[in-house]
Amino acid sequence: MSGTCMKFGLAAALVILSAPFASAQDALDADQMAALCHGGGSICVSATIPAAPATQTVQNWMSPDVGAAWAAGYKGKGVTITMVDDFSSTSRFSGNFGLGVQTQRHGEWTREEASMVAPLATIRSKDFTTGSYVPLASGLNVLNLSYGMYAKAGYSSNQIGWAPEEASIISYAARGLAVVSKAAGNDSVAVGGVTGGQQDYLDLALVGKASAIFVGALSTNGTTSNKAQLAWYSNYAGSNTAVQSHFLVVGVTGDKTGLYGTSFAAPIISGYAAIIGSKFTSATPTQITNDLLNTARTDTLVNYNPSVYGKGEASLSRALAPVAIR
Amino acid sequence: MREKSGNRLGFRTVAPLLWALVGASPAIAQEMTTSLVDIHQGSPLSDRARGLGNGGYELQNGTFVSFNQWYRASWVDMHVDLLTQITEDTGILWGFGTGEEGEKYRIAPSLKLGFLTQMHPSPNSTLSLSFTTTFGGKLTEKSCEADYGDFGTYSVNCRLAASQMAPEETLKYLVNAKPESQHLWLNYRVTF
Repeated sequence: MSGTCMKFGLAAALVILSAPFASAQDALDADQMAALCHGGGSICVSATIPAAPATQTVQNWMSPDVGAAWAAGYKGKGVTITMVDDFSSTSRFSGNFGLGVQTQRHGEWTREEASMVAPLATIRSKDFTTGSYVPLASGLNVLNLSYGMYAKAGYSSNQIGWAPEEASIISYAARGLAVVSKAAGNDSVAVGGVTGGQQDYLDLALVGKASAIFVGALSTNGTTSNKAQLAWYSNYAGSNTAVQSHFLVVGVTGDKTGLYGTSFAAPIISGYAAIIGSKFTSATPTQITNDLLNTARTDTLVNYNPSVYGKGEASLSRALAPVAIR
Repeated sequence: MREKSGNRLGFRTVAPLLWALVGASPAIAQEMTTSLVDIHQGSPLSDRARGLGNGGYELQNGTFVSFNQWYRASWVDMHVDLLTQITEDTGILWGFGTGEEGEKYRIAPSLKLGFLTQMHPSPNSTLSLSFTTTFGGKLTEKSCEADYGDFGTYSVNCRLAASQMAPEETLKYLVNAKPESQHLWLNYRVTF
């Protein structure tokens, strides 16, 4: 690493200590505003925090695929989803995933969402303010990243002096050791694009990694008769084919939940990955990633274009289906 | 006496009926007369097999797979029931079923065996008892080979291949059903 890079790494480390570098993907409230969850600077430990009791009711914000898939009784069992998020700040906001209005931290929301999509998955909570290494559980692992790592634009991701937390996540994605579901971002730019002079270097670092998926938000769940379009705030795939081939979109129906943002798109993919993992119990994270990517639908989207929607809208039912049967 | 099925295809040609035969003369009985009691196509298991054909799912590329193609048969299970009268008031009930087969199921041929006896508590009344038992006739659902791409090829329950269930788990839900194996029938009739 060059001297410049080392300075950058040191600067990043200082930033982490004083005002966390990690930023939860803005959860846009019903007023489509509010930057949220900037760490808080408290000393936190990585811990498994019991997930809120999850209902096993198919909610109206979910894709009908979820209910259809649950009918068989398998809901993510045997898979561990680790939510790397804010579980310690004082920043809380309100929403309703169908369990009544709640006011929670960003990570508590994303955790609740993932646990509702895959209610039998084991959900772990890893506070991102710690910066510490993210351990993997035995069995299939899914990492949910509903946050970005922003810094001044112009560097390459390998110039960043990553904290053990992100270094371990990037390594897992590169080596195919965990499905990494990364919120694409809420700046209406291409993944890794510059916004306000800054870039999300975690996005950039995950480009081209075997088991990473960038997740953008649609304003609704799409159908062939009622096609969906990208939510106005969502980052899109852009022209980089390496991003396009690992970019999915899902419906984030904030009009029903009061919760907007790609932060709430990534946990849906995390839940889907867990469900697929509970079906194909010996599948690798890369296989599950490719399954989700290869079975995405394009016929449910308005004016499908890979530079906008990447591979398309994730389809749990097709991801679970055979290629052929006889 | 026999459960009727809603969509049975077959004809029900009922030849000399049971009661007509039971009332036959002793002379006829001594000749060990055998009469056709019932002939029909279809059964509760036939209907169940047909019911498995409801539904379908999409493959990964969106091609719809209907179950119907797997659970239809060109020949529907035919049952023939006969009665061989031994004495004036007793007889042997017997018969067979041909079975049927579709691409993903089979109903095995069956054999029915039993007896019928009757008594007359009063000149104008008849109390009859019959018992039959059926051998064979089991409905067996067959598995499919499902190709899940990178995940591999598995033997699966054809109907659950696209479900959330692990491929090998789906095999637990293959239908293996036996027909109604024993039937006891008691009847009291008064003529006035």
